[in-house]
This record gives sequence, C-alpha cells and structure tokens, in this order.
Amino acid sequence: MFIVGLLGWWYGAGWRERAQMIGERLMKAYDFFSLDLLLKTLFAPFRQISAGKIRGGLDAQIRAFFDRLLSRCIGATVRLIMLIVGTVWTTILAVLGLIEGILWLFVPLLPIIGAVMFAIGWVPHAGL
Amino acid sequence: MPDFNYHSARAEKARINASLTTLWRTMLVLSAVGLAFAGAAFFILGSTYGWLCIGLAAVPMMIVEWRRGELRDIPLGKTDDLSDQLASDVLGLLPNKPTPLAIAQAALMTSGGQFMAVRFGITMNFFTNLLHDDPDASAEIWAEAHTIRERTGSHAITGAVVAVALVRIIPGYQTLLAHMKLEDADLEAGVRWHDHLRQLVHQHQAPRRTGGIARDWSFGYIPLLERYGHNISAEIAAGGLLQVDLEAHNQALDKMIEMFGTGGRQNVVLVGANGVGKSTLVAALAERLLDAASDLPSHLKFRQVFVLDSAALIAAAPGRGELENLIMGIISEAYNAKNIILCLDDAQLFFEEGIGSVDLANVLQPILEAGRLRMVLTMDEQRLLQIARRNPTLYNALNRVNVPATNREETLRVLQDKLLITEHQRHVIFTYHALTEAYSLSERYMHDIEMPGRAFKLLEASAGYADGKLVTAESVQHAIEETIGVKVGVATADDEREKLLNLEALIHERMVNQTRAVGVVSDALRRARAGVRNQDRPIGTFLFLGPTGVGKTELSKALADVYFGGEGKMIRLDLNEYVRADDVARLIADGADDPHSLTAQAMKQPFSVVLLDEIEKAHPQVLTTLLQLLDEGILRDMKNREISFRDTIVIATSNAGADRIREYIERGYKLEQFEEQITNELISDGAFKPEFLNRFDEIVVFRPLNKKELLQVIDLILAGINKTLAAQKIEVSVEEDAKLFLVDRGYDPRLGARPMRRVVQRAVENTVAKLMLAGSAMPGQTVHLSLEDVQSVFAGEDAARQIMESSDEV
Repeated sequence: MFIVGLLGWWYGAGWRERAQMIGERLMKAYDFFSLDLLLKTLFAPFRQISAGKIRGGLDAQIRAFFDRLLSRCIGATVRLIMLIVGTVWTTILAVLGLIEGILWLFVPLLPIIGAVMFAIGWVPHAGL
Repeated sequence: MPDFNYHSARAEKARINASLTTLWRTMLVLSAVGLAFAGAAFFILGSTYGWLCIGLAAVPMMIVEWRRGELRDIPLGKTDDLSDQLASDVLGLLPNKPTPLAIAQAALMTSGGQFMAVRFGITMNFFTNLLHDDPDASAEIWAEAHTIRERTGSHAITGAVVAVALVRIIPGYQTLLAHMKLEDADLEAGVRWHDHLRQLVHQHQAPRRTGGIARDWSFGYIPLLERYGHNISAEIAAGGLLQVDLEAHNQALDKMIEMFGTGGRQNVVLVGANGVGKSTLVAALAERLLDAASDLPSHLKFRQVFVLDSAALIAAAPGRGELENLIMGIISEAYNAKNIILCLDDAQLFFEEGIGSVDLANVLQPILEAGRLRMVLTMDEQRLLQIARRNPTLYNALNRVNVPATNREETLRVLQDKLLITEHQRHVIFTYHALTEAYSLSERYMHDIEMPGRAFKLLEASAGYADGKLVTAESVQHAIEETIGVKVGVATADDEREKLLNLEALIHERMVNQTRAVGVVSDALRRARAGVRNQDRPIGTFLFLGPTGVGKTELSKALADVYFGGEGKMIRLDLNEYVRADDVARLIADGADDPHSLTAQAMKQPFSVVLLDEIEKAHPQVLTTLLQLLDEGILRDMKNREISFRDTIVIATSNAGADRIREYIERGYKLEQFEEQITNELISDGAFKPEFLNRFDEIVVFRPLNKKELLQVIDLILAGINKTLAAQKIEVSVEEDAKLFLVDRGYDPRLGARPMRRVVQRAVENTVAKLMLAGSAMPGQTVHLSLEDVQSVFAGEDAARQIMESSDEV
C-alpha cells in the first residue's frame, strides 16, 4: 500500500498540485509586477505630477501641457523598465517551473537511475 | 450508519500519516538533506557512490513531500462511507472495530478533540467512567456523528464532531451537561467554532493579490496624509484582517460600496453606538477594495482608506486658522491623489467645539455636499442628531448607514474570531464558558459600550486573570468583580460562606432585635450568593414600615457594612427631596451632569444597598419610575441606557402607619398578628397604591423598642464610643442605673431611639473629656460612670429648663 499510495499520489494529485504551485508562483510574480496595470497605465502621469486641471491663459495652458507631457514620459519610462524586468522575471520563473514539473516525473526513478549509474561507473565531476 | 472500513485506501494512508511522528519526520528530512550533500561531495571527489546517495535521498524526500501534499490532510472520499467522511487525523488513530472508549481516545488526540477538551472541559477523564468497551456500540456513535456533522455543516466528521457524538450517546447526558453548565446547543456551537477556525486559517494561507508594485504609481503623493493619517489599507496588505461574516455587517459593507460606486454624494456615515464595530467595518471596506480578485468597479479597486488622527491634527495646528489650513491641505492632497478614501473616526470631533475637538463644519460641509472626495464618517446616533439639530444642511448632505449592535449569537461569533489574535498575543486560551459569561456579565454591568465591543473588552481584561493560561468563566467573573466591585460568582470562599451563614448574628452586633426584618434580608442575600435567585430582579426589595428611630435605616447601614463591605456601599436617597413630578429627571440624570442621581450612583456602585428613605413623601410620578427598578432591576437613565440594579438590595422605608403600629403594640398585639392589617390600611388610606406595594418581596413592620431593648441599644452605642476611645487606650463602663437614666432621658415616643445616641455621647464623651483634661483618666484605665456622674452632666441643662418653665408659668 505504501509504495502504491506514494507513487499514485506522485504521478496523480501530487503532480497536479505541483503544477498548481508553479502557476501560483507565476501569478504572484505577475501580481507583484502588476503587469496588466503597467500596460493599462503606461502613459498615465507619474504620481499625478502636473496632472490636475490648470486655469489660466494660453501661456499657462501650454506650460501645463508640456509639464503633463513630461510627467507622462517619466511614467512611461519607469513603467516600461518595470514591464521589461517583470516580463523577464516571469519568463525565467515559467521556464524554471517547466523544468521543475518535468523533473518531478523523474524523482521516483532516481533510486534506479542512481543504481544504474553507480554500476556504469560514470561520474559527472570526472567528465568535466 | 455502517462501521468504517478499516482497510480502505484512505484509512491506510491516514494510518501511515499517524505513524509519521515528528521524530520520524525530522529523521526523514535530515536523511534526505544528508544524502543529497553526501552525493554532491562524492561527485566532487570523483566517486560513483554519489549516484547511490542521490538515488537514496529521493526516497525520504518523496515521503516528506507526500505527507505535506496529501497525508497531512487527506481529502474526503467521494462516497458516503464513514472511512471517506471521517477527518483523516481521527481515521488514522482508530483501531479495527473500535470500542466507544477507543474512539474517544482517538478523537481526543486530534486537534478537534483537544479543542473540545480545552474549551468545553470534555476530556478523557470525562469519558473514562461513562463509556463502555463494547465494539457494537460504535455504530450509534457514527450515526450521531453523521447527524451532528449535517446540523453543524462541519467540513468532515472531525474530532470535535466525534467528541460531541460520544457525549450524546451517554444515557442522561443532559444532566451531565447541566452540571458542567452547558447546553446541547453549546456543543454544536463548539463544533462550528472549531470548523470556522480551520476555515480562517485556510483563508489566511490562501494567496492574496493586492495590486503589486505599480499599484499606486498613477496616484499622487500624499506626504501630509501620511503624517496625519493612518493608512489601514497598507496595514491590511501587510498582515491581513481576520474578518467576520456577519449578515448585518455585510449589508452595511455592500451599501458603502454601492454608494461609492455610484455617482451620488461620495460619503457614508456609519451610525452606531461605541463598540458595535464601525471601525472594523471601515477595515473590512479597505480589505475588500484591496482584493484584486473582487468584482468591484475599476474606479474603486485599490483605493486606500486613511483614518485622520484628530489628536495629531489639533496638536500640530493649535490655532483655528492653522487647523483649517492644514485640513484643507490634507483634503486637497487626498483629492489630487485620486485613490484616497478619507475616514473621520468619531467624526463628531470634527464638528463640535470642545476639549480635543474642533468645529470644522465650515470647511468640511462644502466638500461633503460637493461629494467629490470619498469620505467615511463614524459617529453615534446621539451625535448625529446633535449635528442634525445644529446644521440641517450638513445632515442632509450625509448618506447614513446604520450599524446595529450584535445579538448573542453574532457576538459569540465575533468574539471567536477576534480572540484568535488576543490568544496569540497574550498566550492564553479562552473557554466557551468565558465567552458566554463575558456576554452576559458585560451586558449587565458595562453601559458605555455596545455589543460586541463590550464583551470583547471584558474578555481582554479577563486575560489578566487566567488560571494556568486558561481564561474561564471564573476569570471573567474575577475581572468584573475587580473592575467594578460587584460580586457575581457563587460564594465559595470559606470566610464568605461563614459570613452568609451567620449574617443575622453579624447584623445583630450592630442593631437590636427586629429579628424578622434581619431574617428576611439575610435570607435574600443567601439566596443570591447561592445562585438560586431570579437573576432578572434586584437581590431583594423590601419595604420597612415603622416609627422613627426603631432601626430601619440602621439595618440598611448594617447590611452595607457587614456584607457589601462598608457603609459607603449604600446609595441613600431621601425621597422627601423628590416631591415634584419633574424631580424624576434628577432621579435618572446622566452621571456627567449629576453624579448624585440614583442611576449615576448605581452605575458606579452596582453592588450595594439602595436606601429609599421616606418613600411615602415622593411624588407619585417618582414612585411610578421606581416600579421598573423594583420589578426588573433596571432603570433607564436620561441617555436611555439600561442601568442595572440587579445586584442591589433595595430598601424603602416609610413612617406611614407608625401611629397605628404603636397603637397595636400598646394594645398587646404581636407583629405577625397585624402586619397584613397595616398593609391593607396603607392601601385603603391611599398612602400607597397596591401595585406599588406588590412590587416588594417583603413588607416588614418594625415595632417600637421596649425598655429592655433600649438598654441593649445603649450597650451598642457604648461599644461604638469605646471603639473611638481605643485610640486613647481608655475604656468606659456605665452602671446599670445610669443606663436606665439615659434610656429615660434619650427615649422620645415620636423619635424612638434616635435621640439616644446624642444623649449617651454627651453624657459619656463630656465626662471622659473632663476627666482626661483633669488628668484623672490615664491611658490603660477604665472609667466607671455612675448615676450621679451622668446626672451631673445634665444637671445644668435641667436647671435651665426648670427656670424657663417657671418663667413661662409666671
């Protein structure tokens, strides 16, 4: 029962749970970098600097327009950097997750692989 | 329900988990890590043994992972079979064909069973002598457990469910529960409590999405708000909130979101008494707004709730103009930031002039009316009405949401959630009895705060009286006894029991005869402290009838002194000062306006003797007001708060019928023979209405004292004088004939024994004072007063009186 139970879980619910954990990890990274929010607000004024309505003559309106433009440029730059960092990080996590998911399937075979490799006599260090 | 399948796959797995004790798990982890390291080391050394180590390391690692992922909490099976529906921790500990005792042992080792043991006292000792070891009886237990699970909605047949089922199969278990001061429903409440805690833990462990790093980049900087406000959204994002799902609170929360989500005036006033959970609701709003997974409109998501700190504001800008400027600065900052919901907790502080408050209505009103900045205000009904009276326009600009006080069931649920944090912080555990006791005691004795806040406050105070880290009903009683000086538990201490049993003797040390009056009052007190009285009435209500100076007031004082801990524990009201109808207002005045009103004094001192002197002189309206006090033990004060008199002895005294009493006594009747007659005469004479007299537990007639009793009164007075003189180490004794002289001199048929104290004090204290000054009375000496000594004190007075009388005759 012990071995059957363990292997049954490992290749069934255990593997699904592992996939779910990897997915949650990705979602957490996605939420941390708020990628959708960064995209939605890419050109929004950064921290509402110069964002309010300005009353006054044409001079003041033109100055406010350029101030707002600057604020939006700063916002877009900061958000773009964060978007790139976030995307790269999430991609790395996704690749690592994929490897983890695949490796998971081979863990129960490790005792056999270990015995076979011991019998063959190959050592990774020696090969390097 | 059939017995469980011992050999089912789920049961086998549960047993594997049970066998993986902490020691085994530690060893598995250590061996996995050790073998992995050893493998790496062998590889570095170029040895093929590395493969063996890595291969072997996989085995313990897989077992540890299996336990974490499945065995620790094996999901329920898909069938109705018992082995599929039992919680895995119970299942793993059950032997094949278990007896009721074995089931009890297994259940009480699980977290659910231990929960019931600690919080309800259902321990293994409880079951040992009550359960038999017949395996055939277990079917009944499983059937009962199944019923309990369905009734409570428990996620599985947990240890807690099984523990309750075991109790219920005991014949006559309800008697046992009654002995433990529990009811059947309490046990089911315990199962729900345990299951709810499990849910809370799961909720808390679930991943939270709160917006991430760029959440606030599109919103403005808020340096002023950060300085003078308190960001509860940030706190919740950091630590989460243990939220209670109460129907009333959810409705209020939905209303708030609806108001902020639609285009109307963007403000909400949460109206409710102190302690109903207004601040918790604001926190719940903040939590819901932070939840990325919620279905809120996008213009509400991730809005942050800031509570303004009125004290910090006033301290930073003491001048009126300065404060208004500061507030305007904060409001403009919040408006420009575009993601702020401003909360004014105890909002009345911003709308009234006073200590620690300032009237900023002129600044805030236009903002509330315009409705552009989202604001939440909290205040109680009274304050809102005051604002409505002073400033109707402002009142009309506010969107009101009522937050009602919780009922008993809701309060217990709130407490169960909130106490999790208290238990963690104070390292204590609260029993179920502690919660129910806190509810009933706080409801009775705590008036300035509403449920659930008042019960929670009492429980927090009770944590300081925990016995071995367990907060029980006794801890709660202790806390309330210490804080407001009321005795709520049943008398258990030896000295108190002794005092109660000898109450009559103790009272008679201070007063003479009137045995019937002393007896009925003592009986009432004994009933109260033995826990057999009606809890919804005062301890006792008595009407003392009789002439002046026979001991009516003295008995009240003696009672306050002997039992309640001093004459100071007496609330005395001379009702001849309440002769007009509008005097009722003085009787029930708020303590802040009149600390001497009856309600204010009872609030401060709920465990005392209430003496209503000369009740016949009070206005009928005053007597009508007192009816509720006599009947239900409560009186509503000016603020409509229920003030409890349920731990007082109410004594009303009256001279009405005194002449008739004297007449009956002179004609040789005994008290018992004319007591009822006197009461009837008082009703027929119109002195009291029958419905008023019927409210008293006992109407006690005091008879005038005879000469022999008056001599005893003199002895009591002398004992009092000797007590005073003890400081000078001088004792006084008075000869018998001198005492008779003092009785003749001090007794007045109209005033009874009342002048006696003055006469004795004059005779004895004057003489002793002279002797001391003359050096004839030294410390350690006993001064004997003869008839001549006493007569000489009054000689001058008598001579003067004779001269006055003879001059009158001339």
